[in-house]
Amino acid sequence: MKLNFKLEKDIIDKLKLKDKENIIYCVPFDLSTDGRLIKNSYTVVTNDRVIIVTEGAVTNDIPLSKCEDAKSEAPVDCGMLISTIDGEITLLARFSMKHHIRYGYVAKGIRLLHDGKDYVVRSRERETICEKCGMVMPKTKQCPYCGGKSQMLYKMGRLLSPYKGWVFLILFLTVLSSLLSMASAYVLRLFMDDVLIPKSGTISDAVKFFMIFIVIGVTVMAVSQMTVISSTLFSSKISNGLRIQVFNKIQQLSISYINKSRPGQLLNRVLWDTREIQRFIDDTLCGLLSSTMNFLFAFIFLLVLNWKLALLALIFLPVIVVILRLRKKRSRRLWRKSQIKSDLLYTRLQDVISGIRVVKSYGKEKYEEKQFRYINEQHAKATIRFEVFWAIVVPPTAFLFSLGGYLITYFGGMDVLNNIITPGELVQITTYCSMLTAPLVWFSNLPQRLNRLTITIERIYDVLEEEPEVINAQLPQKLEISGDVSFKNVSFGYDSYEQVITDINLDVKKGEMIGIVGKSGAGKSTLINLIMRMYDVDEGSITIDGVDIRDIDMHTLHSQIGVVLQETFLFSDTVINNIRYARPDASFNEIIMAAKMANAHDFICKLPDGYNTYVGEKGYSLSGGERQRIAIARAILINPAILILDEATSSLDTESEYQVQEALGRLTKGRTTFAIAHRLSTLRNADRLIVINDHTIAECGTHNELLEKKGIYYGLVTAQLEINDISSFEEVLDEAQPNVN
Amino acid sequence: MNNKNLQNDIIIQQQKMTDDALEMRFIDNSNAVFKKTKGGFLSVEFNGAYYGRVCVCQTFPFTQPGKFISLRENDEKGREIGIIEDMSKLDEASRALIEEQIKLRCFMPVITKIVNVKDKYGFAYFDVLTDRGECRFTAHIFSGDIINLGDKRIIMKDVDGNRFEIPDLSKLSSSERKMIEVFI
Repeated sequence: MKLNFKLEKDIIDKLKLKDKENIIYCVPFDLSTDGRLIKNSYTVVTNDRVIIVTEGAVTNDIPLSKCEDAKSEAPVDCGMLISTIDGEITLLARFSMKHHIRYGYVAKGIRLLHDGKDYVVRSRERETICEKCGMVMPKTKQCPYCGGKSQMLYKMGRLLSPYKGWVFLILFLTVLSSLLSMASAYVLRLFMDDVLIPKSGTISDAVKFFMIFIVIGVTVMAVSQMTVISSTLFSSKISNGLRIQVFNKIQQLSISYINKSRPGQLLNRVLWDTREIQRFIDDTLCGLLSSTMNFLFAFIFLLVLNWKLALLALIFLPVIVVILRLRKKRSRRLWRKSQIKSDLLYTRLQDVISGIRVVKSYGKEKYEEKQFRYINEQHAKATIRFEVFWAIVVPPTAFLFSLGGYLITYFGGMDVLNNIITPGELVQITTYCSMLTAPLVWFSNLPQRLNRLTITIERIYDVLEEEPEVINAQLPQKLEISGDVSFKNVSFGYDSYEQVITDINLDVKKGEMIGIVGKSGAGKSTLINLIMRMYDVDEGSITIDGVDIRDIDMHTLHSQIGVVLQETFLFSDTVINNIRYARPDASFNEIIMAAKMANAHDFICKLPDGYNTYVGEKGYSLSGGERQRIAIARAILINPAILILDEATSSLDTESEYQVQEALGRLTKGRTTFAIAHRLSTLRNADRLIVINDHTIAECGTHNELLEKKGIYYGLVTAQLEINDISSFEEVLDEAQPNVN
Repeated sequence: MNNKNLQNDIIIQQQKMTDDALEMRFIDNSNAVFKKTKGGFLSVEFNGAYYGRVCVCQTFPFTQPGKFISLRENDEKGREIGIIEDMSKLDEASRALIEEQIKLRCFMPVITKIVNVKDKYGFAYFDVLTDRGECRFTAHIFSGDIINLGDKRIIMKDVDGNRFEIPDLSKLSSSERKMIEVFI
């Protein structure tokens, strides 16, 4: 999203920029303080001032040093930029939702500048509407419409270029099939003129023509078979290739990209967008080629045969085009209306059925019936109007279509009577005429289809052209990790607009277990994501055994970190494949050993198919504790140097928690471990605890040290008591005590 | 540490909070003083307490726009300070202040004239006049962003999330109605 708009020169002059003063952010706003829509208004942030330009005039000019705590607030369907100036919360600018996201970034930018940091905020968010052409963008970086047809053709060309041979083959086949249709009309003419009209034909002539027709028919059949087959092969080849390309790209892209896309959006790009391309090639491209060929050949042959009649046919084409367009516009409106009504009907029905208990218990059936009846009638009306429209309009259109043919028959018939042309020629001409009109229906649908294709191609290229943020260093090190981890001044935010952790410093020795506590959203999981290098830090560095993790080969790094998360993800596969997911070459001995250590072996043996039991969405369903133990076995199997436990026991009941805890105890022995837990009692084995608060490490020390401090940790411990039974206070304190012998 | 005391304290505190939330505190000129802050917001002195920046919420923005205005503290919790039962009973200066704050908080232009609607590839591009000035916006046709509230009132949401209101469908001219007929 654009954060630095270009200002017109006269406005820049009014800013009176000083020497070495640069515009860092410049964002428009569109509401006055009393809520009128205004134009030509900007919030300009330089390295020294925040300047508000309202309708072309500077209305506020504040030194950056005074702009404290800049914030973008969003009350109801609009937003405002506020800042505390001289101790007074002050409204700087108002804007509609159009600029709402932009101002989130700008407020952050002002805060950073105010704090003396020269880090410039950038936004990866997409614009909703193209600045140039005003069309809605399909969540892509570039506008599919602005590039114009040439850009689209270029991209389409790039997609097709590896398959040139196929394109030529299909082209050849369509030309062949068009020519065959032309030829069959010609043969018909010969048959009439040479055999039927003079009545001089013999049986052998009839047989000869019969054979020719058979040959042409068989050839047409073969050619059309080949066209369909080759276009299907061609389109599925392209879409398969694309699907793999998109899939690989998505796997390669950083988690941040995947998190930012809405769920389903990426899925759609892999599945539907590639299928759309396939469908386009199947339906449209081949149809387009054959329609164009038919049209072209028919017209050329007509011109050669009888240019007068050809021109007569041509006069009718514009009329038909206009009729088709009018019909389409109206039918689309009617169709859309019936579609909207059917949506309403569906929503209502869903509402009532899912709320049936409420409806029944309050005895509102009559009321619901009335409502439903009303919507149902509206839906029926809309549908009837649409159907009736078709019933009334389609036959006259068809008549107008054939009217041209009748006229040609009339004038051509006169020519035949005047012996200018032969009857056979007339038959040939009328056949070609009908070939002229048929593709027109087809052409009228073309813009809609091309638009769909344009958007699809743009969406696919949007993924393909995305650069992954987290990449291997040029010469990555294949490090055998021993387990010392240290954070130096680490700062990071998922959006550059909001920092999640700032200035983290921590040294962890090999084999140490660190418990991470803090409120939800404080940044605990973020810290862990950084160790796994799902993201790269914005500032500072994380080192493992003294090597910056950005210099370690990513595959080596990931294969030496074991992870057990709160929501264990098991693939829809067998237990054994889930356990050896990260090490497919593990021996059965090792797998059983790992399962035993994870307290999983016993329950796995009791499963219907033992280790071969199919689990996951459609398979055997395991309990939370069982899934967790499988995840632990998975982690044990790779013998990781660093272990990460993110709320690994939080969703378990007491009995399975005990089993999991015991397994975890074995797993963590001798390994550097980072454990996040909400329930503080689960961190009783931790050597040190760190408390994350306000995006940074607020407290660090052993359980006892932190309790004595009576700070945040103490507060967290007591707060948990409020939730749980108060009487268990001491118990929890005891539990949370590390085992100091 | 005395557990019993801690327990009692928590219970008392929670009871206080519930009582506070249940109480109806009506605000009018007799018990409150409204002032505009230097920064452009509203401050209130009510029952002896001073609130530096209050949030003004309409509780029935469509059906009872001038009634039951809830004044709330402007922080995350947003505790209710009190309710103005009927704005028309305030003196003129106070009413103007409150109205200004409502306008500051909400933005939903009322469409007064539909100049043009272009329908392109599943999106409707509107060109309208509103009570806040002329405006162009774009709405997605099939996403349910055009909501029919009751028989007459229509709320339309554009692709950015702005909302536009047509308060009375029957007051549109027939040509205007024809332009938006498809969406309703």
